[in-house]
Amino acid sequence: MLAIISPLMRIVEIPMLALQRLLGMNRLAWVFLAPNLILFGLFAFLPVILNVAYATTGGSNVLLADRPDVGLRNFATLTDCGSVLDPNSCREDKFWRAVWNTTWFVTLQVGFMVGFALLTAIILNRDIRARGFFRAVFFFPVLLSPVVVALIWKWILQREGVLNAFLDWAGPGGFNWLVDANWAFTWSVFISVWAHMGFYTLILLAGLQAIPRDVYEAATMDRASPWRAFRKITLPLLAPTMLVVLVLALIKGVQTFDEIYAFTGGGPGTATTFIIQYIYEEGFAGAPRLFGLAAAASLMVAFVLVILTLIQLWVNRRNVDG
Amino acid sequence: MKTGGHEMARLELRNVVKSYGAVDVIKGVDLQVNHGEFCVFVGPSGCGKSTLLRMIAGLEPITGGEIAIGEEVVNHIPAADRGLAMVFQSYALYPHMTVRQNLSFGLENINTPRAEIATKVGEVAKMLQIDMLLDRRPKDLSGGQRQRVAIGRAVVREPRVFLFDEPLSNLDAELRVDMRGEISALHKRLGNTMIYVTHDQVEAMTMADKIAVLRLGELEQFGRPLDLYNAPENLFVAGFIGSPKMNFLTGIVGEDRTHLTLDTGDAITLPETGFAQRSGQKVTLGLRPNDLHPDGNGALHAEIRSVEQLGSESYLYGHFADGTPLTVHNPGQTRLQTGDRVTLTANAEAIHLFDTETTRSLRM
Repeated sequence: MLAIISPLMRIVEIPMLALQRLLGMNRLAWVFLAPNLILFGLFAFLPVILNVAYATTGGSNVLLADRPDVGLRNFATLTDCGSVLDPNSCREDKFWRAVWNTTWFVTLQVGFMVGFALLTAIILNRDIRARGFFRAVFFFPVLLSPVVVALIWKWILQREGVLNAFLDWAGPGGFNWLVDANWAFTWSVFISVWAHMGFYTLILLAGLQAIPRDVYEAATMDRASPWRAFRKITLPLLAPTMLVVLVLALIKGVQTFDEIYAFTGGGPGTATTFIIQYIYEEGFAGAPRLFGLAAAASLMVAFVLVILTLIQLWVNRRNVDG
Repeated sequence: MKTGGHEMARLELRNVVKSYGAVDVIKGVDLQVNHGEFCVFVGPSGCGKSTLLRMIAGLEPITGGEIAIGEEVVNHIPAADRGLAMVFQSYALYPHMTVRQNLSFGLENINTPRAEIATKVGEVAKMLQIDMLLDRRPKDLSGGQRQRVAIGRAVVREPRVFLFDEPLSNLDAELRVDMRGEISALHKRLGNTMIYVTHDQVEAMTMADKIAVLRLGELEQFGRPLDLYNAPENLFVAGFIGSPKMNFLTGIVGEDRTHLTLDTGDAITLPETGFAQRSGQKVTLGLRPNDLHPDGNGALHAEIRSVEQLGSESYLYGHFADGTPLTVHNPGQTRLQTGDRVTLTANAEAIHLFDTETTRSLRM
């Protein structure tokens, strides 16, 4: 390997030395940084700038030059409400329905998911039979594409689906699960928990395994009951991992779109329309295409996500320091 | 500080066995530790000493035999209800709790009134000189301080028996010597039965009332430290107890039973009484480094390979003619140097003799 690299390095060496003489040591550093800076600028920084630019312009033209400057009017449109708690009183009622749907969805999904992930991790951490198999089973849905997840559950829950076939056979009879707003929302939470729980279970399992065994043995010698050991040893020592899981799940929850969009299409009505779907539909699916409104909404979501990310970074740093 | 040690806590192991599948790790251990005794389990890594301790604690189920504390067989009594306290090798302090909470936890678990917990924690903290650390967490403590907290956690619960699993192995040499003294003092003060596991025979010799030497899951010898030192029952104990190690020389007993021809080419005279050697028997002669004197008059010949001068004492390392290694402890300084050939005298009354085949002592 070295035999191949060495001559190549010698070929590069000559122009590099010349460049170094020409630019000086400090400026040469920018040459090395340039590829990364260009990629980052093009695919991360520029879209943010464009997003702000679109959010402060109106109309349905794509080209910025053709878009009139509207200042903060898009934000004003989004927040023009009698009461934000009542979407019907809002000018952009669909946005607020999506906001509240997302809030409820995230609350329920994250709550159930972290709870079940913790329970599963605790069980999988015990010396149970076929532990490796069960760990794989719980992680498997994470590997599925969101669309596949949606199609599997649609196949189970649609009017002529597997669940109804079973209910018809068993007696109570089938039900139109995805037509009823409450059931559609409930199933959306359920399949989202099912699809993502394995990932958080894995993180919590790693957290549980990082708790030294002899601490539990010390607790046993100290006459702590299993419940007390869980409350006083496991939970406090798992808290930093739980916090990471919680914030990650919140971020992922706010970003929920593809699997629910493929599962219910946001319906019935707007019962399962979440904020990212609202942005997508305003900007890319509706007519006219209201890029400005979509960009303003996505900046508002970004603001929430930045706060959550900062919390996660703070938690991580505290764990490392702790 | 009064402790539950006043309750009679004799510990008895009766043919205790532990197997993992087909592998026997403890092969029928019998021993009895009287109330208030300090007993040390010692042996090389993998001898089963920690497993035995964990079986006594109830953290490891036993495969066969009986463990009795006081008059009660505790085989099926959970660890929490055996009335024992354990100090772990890693200390196993609760990292998220303060020292005060670490000490209180065991008492809270048995619903001890708050005022009583505060009094007991205060007393123990003062006794172990950790009273100024009560509001710190384990990560803010030094190794020695953590060790004291771990001991305090055991003491505060007033157990019948204390179990120590290699508690000093994570400390530096100087601190280890200090803590050795403190644990011994604690034992004298509390008077409880204590079982202490170590691989360090110096710890065993300096702290124990009784030592149990273990090897490959078997009890090689059990007795008072000096009994083990002066009258080891087999070659393993002879080699394990005592630092530096005993010198071993193999040879064959002559027709008259007192003449021993060594494989080194030297010959020595054995005492007429005290050993049950037979003529023609292949034996191993054991000589402690401090029972050999390079005075130029003896029957043993060796070459010095290195000399350690420590000022108040010196050590000579070398080998006999057949390559058998030699260690000599010399009180004071020596003028001998590397490469010197020496003639050594052995203390006749301090020799040890073992059957080479069975490795058992031939002492009568």
